[in-house]
Amino acid sequence: MSTSTIEKTVHKGNASGGGLARRQNFLTGLVGGIIFAWLFWWIARLVGDQSSRSFSDLTATSVTLGWLFGFWLGIGALNGPFRWLIGRDQTREDQLYYAGENLGVSRYWKFTTDHKVVGVQYIVMTMVLLGAGGILAMAIRTNLITPGNHFVNQQVYNSFISMHGMLMILGMIVAVAGPWANFVVPIMVGARDMAFPRLNALSLWTLVAAAALLLTTLAVGGLPVGWVILAPITNQAGVGMDFFAMAIVVFTVSTTVAGVNTLATVVKMRTKGMTFTRLPIFVWGSIIAAALGLYAFPYFLLAEVLQLMDRNFQTSFYVASGGGTGWLQANLFWMMGHPEVYVILLPAVGAIFEIAAVMSRKPVFSYKTAVGGMVALAGLSILVWAHHMFTTGWAPTLGGPFMLTTELISIPTGIFFLVLIATMWRGNVWFRLPTLWVYGFIFDFVIGGVTGIYLSDIPIDNQFHGTMFVTAHFHYVFAGSVLFGAVAALAFWYPKVTGRFLNETMGRISFGLTFIGIQVTFISMFLSGLKGMPRRYSSYSMLFEHTNFITTIGGYTIMAGMLVLLAAVITSWKHGEASGPNPWHANSLEWMVPTPVPLENFDVLPVITEDPYNFAEKVDH
Amino acid sequence: MSLDDTISTHSEGHDHGHHEAPEVVDSRERFGVWLFIAGDMVTLGAIWFTYLYMRGTNTDGHWMSMLGYQGHSYAWYENALNSSAGLPAATTIHVGPMSAGLIWLVALVVAVSAGIIWWAEKLLRESKNAKAFSNIALLGTVVVLLAVILSIVQLRHIPSIFVANNDSQVMAYTGYSSAMMMIIGVSMVHFIILAFLGLGLAIRSARGAITGEKWFQARLVRIFWVWVAISTLVTTLLTVMVNKL
Ligand SMILES: [Cu+2]
Repeated sequence: MSTSTIEKTVHKGNASGGGLARRQNFLTGLVGGIIFAWLFWWIARLVGDQSSRSFSDLTATSVTLGWLFGFWLGIGALNGPFRWLIGRDQTREDQLYYAGENLGVSRYWKFTTDHKVVGVQYIVMTMVLLGAGGILAMAIRTNLITPGNHFVNQQVYNSFISMHGMLMILGMIVAVAGPWANFVVPIMVGARDMAFPRLNALSLWTLVAAAALLLTTLAVGGLPVGWVILAPITNQAGVGMDFFAMAIVVFTVSTTVAGVNTLATVVKMRTKGMTFTRLPIFVWGSIIAAALGLYAFPYFLLAEVLQLMDRNFQTSFYVASGGGTGWLQANLFWMMGHPEVYVILLPAVGAIFEIAAVMSRKPVFSYKTAVGGMVALAGLSILVWAHHMFTTGWAPTLGGPFMLTTELISIPTGIFFLVLIATMWRGNVWFRLPTLWVYGFIFDFVIGGVTGIYLSDIPIDNQFHGTMFVTAHFHYVFAGSVLFGAVAALAFWYPKVTGRFLNETMGRISFGLTFIGIQVTFISMFLSGLKGMPRRYSSYSMLFEHTNFITTIGGYTIMAGMLVLLAAVITSWKHGEASGPNPWHANSLEWMVPTPVPLENFDVLPVITEDPYNFAEKVDH
Repeated sequence: MSLDDTISTHSEGHDHGHHEAPEVVDSRERFGVWLFIAGDMVTLGAIWFTYLYMRGTNTDGHWMSMLGYQGHSYAWYENALNSSAGLPAATTIHVGPMSAGLIWLVALVVAVSAGIIWWAEKLLRESKNAKAFSNIALLGTVVVLLAVILSIVQLRHIPSIFVANNDSQVMAYTGYSSAMMMIIGVSMVHFIILAFLGLGLAIRSARGAITGEKWFQARLVRIFWVWVAISTLVTTLLTVMVNKL
């Protein structure tokens, strides 16, 4: 302990010589981004586009590129590559500085490499994305509370629909993997940081840049095309579409970098004795999702690059009159789209397994089957994409095979239920906040999963496609299941981040509101769908009046639940009940280190001799 | 002085800090490079899918022509504007495949640059001559920059059609031209990354950051370089051999 004090003094003494690079933070990033966005706009006008419109596709795309470059430059993301280029690598002292040593709270606003700081930054980003998506959801539901209610005009409504979808999808992609694959996975495997700490900071701040572009879309004409952004309607949309497409390009860079990092950390940085069968199961969920993301997101990247080329360079990828086809976009989008659902789901499932085992004081039931189920789910997910295109007329002869592969999905997901229930069965279940959200997950995931099997069936899909039934189905999967997994993970690991429990009472109130809200919202939405109400409509027939009113009330209830959760997160951060380093009496490594976790986690790297689920000791609770 | 000594002794005793063996760091970084290559492979697969899908569907016969479309070739249109005769009657316009020679040349140049980098790495590991390595890496960089320039030439020669409708006059690209623009563009981005990495190798070895003993980064760059060369070659095979309907 005394040594670390000496070390700190030594580093403080040297840190003054850092110069400009050490002053960089979010604000300089913002300034750099705005300056370069303006500069690129000016250049684009000068060389390419002298049309009367000040904001054409070309200038808009240039602005987005300028923003990304300037933001990276301003926040310091390009310092590492530049220093590599000129052969001036960071010293050990530099590394400690950029890891946030002695920086206090300001390290959360900087290009900080410490995985725990990045984890906390991801918590905030998740809340920003889900919060923005949630506000739009409230606007949409308010618009739909009565049949002819014009709370927002139709064009804005269309934008809100797409933006709600995209913000929520991106928020869900990072909701579990972002905070926890960063904060706890390196500690779980016995590493001092991620494999590539600078890439870790890069993935986070690139996500910030992407989120900024995505939100700006609303200010430059919106995205009135639906969240699946199907061509050719996207070719007719305004410059908001350029902002959106570039936001996705930037986002895929962020997730690819993050996925590579997670995989390399777990494969290459496990401590002595940490074999693959001794990994906490959450680690498995994280790396399988990371590998699947590495497969899925290149399709999204390409789909949006082609979109940008069509709009900026008059190519014809999605334009039938030039030799292209909208089916190309649909294929690329869904080749990404279905695997992406499991990129979202698997970290949540991994966390739920982890929490269920610890809170039941039992090992994960049939650990290897659970891992096998996750691998099988990932493998199957790349062979099912065309089930989103059953009604489009694309390759009808492939309908049968795609229906079969989709129905096979129910086997690995069935295994998940088996593992979960058998893990908790006759366990000494500790009924605390994380456990509650695990129960919610199980309940909602049954409904989300079973309705998915309906939809995989082509005759039924022909009836339900494009109706609110589909919307209700995937909301049971995302809002009902993944969100509950994310909150369970938050409640479970919150004490490791803050040293305090998430307020139990507020957490339970939040659970009650959210759980009831989900059922009210989406069961009534199923009914609207069964009666034939189409998705994405801003006003509807009197036939759907009552179910929509109920759905809106349910939606408000979910929002109330989330606001209570937000209040709990904020108030407990400083004033929550102190938890100590291992409040759940768990055995995995993240609970063995002190709280707050010191920089570089371990003084001496641990040696592992058994799996983390050997709960021999009796715990009083 | 004595203070520093105490700390370093203490640090070693407690295994504190990033005092990892270079082999350990290298093994991790090599794994990372392979993962990025895996992601790049998926992207390449998606590009192949796009190319073949556009050729396969050949929507409205527009893979390489604007069959039945009221259009003019761009040069023709410019001439017509400059003469007093006015716009000639619209005809169906066919665009041929791009120069196979030029496409092969780019692939060849990149393959040569990959060979140079590989040779440089071999030399560094065997003869430990960082100075020679720096020069050869610079040569590889110059060669790959040539590929960038050739790509720009290619982009300027992508066949386009000037479509003059009743209400709009736009430059348009057929399915084939669109796909070629994408492939050449994506390749060029890869070549630029290679040029950055090659320049880094040259400067770093000149400054002593890469030496006969510290040669791991030369191998990392070479692995990625060779992958780019291979992916360029196989994509060249595709676009040269499979382009007509
Ligand atoms: Cu799907």
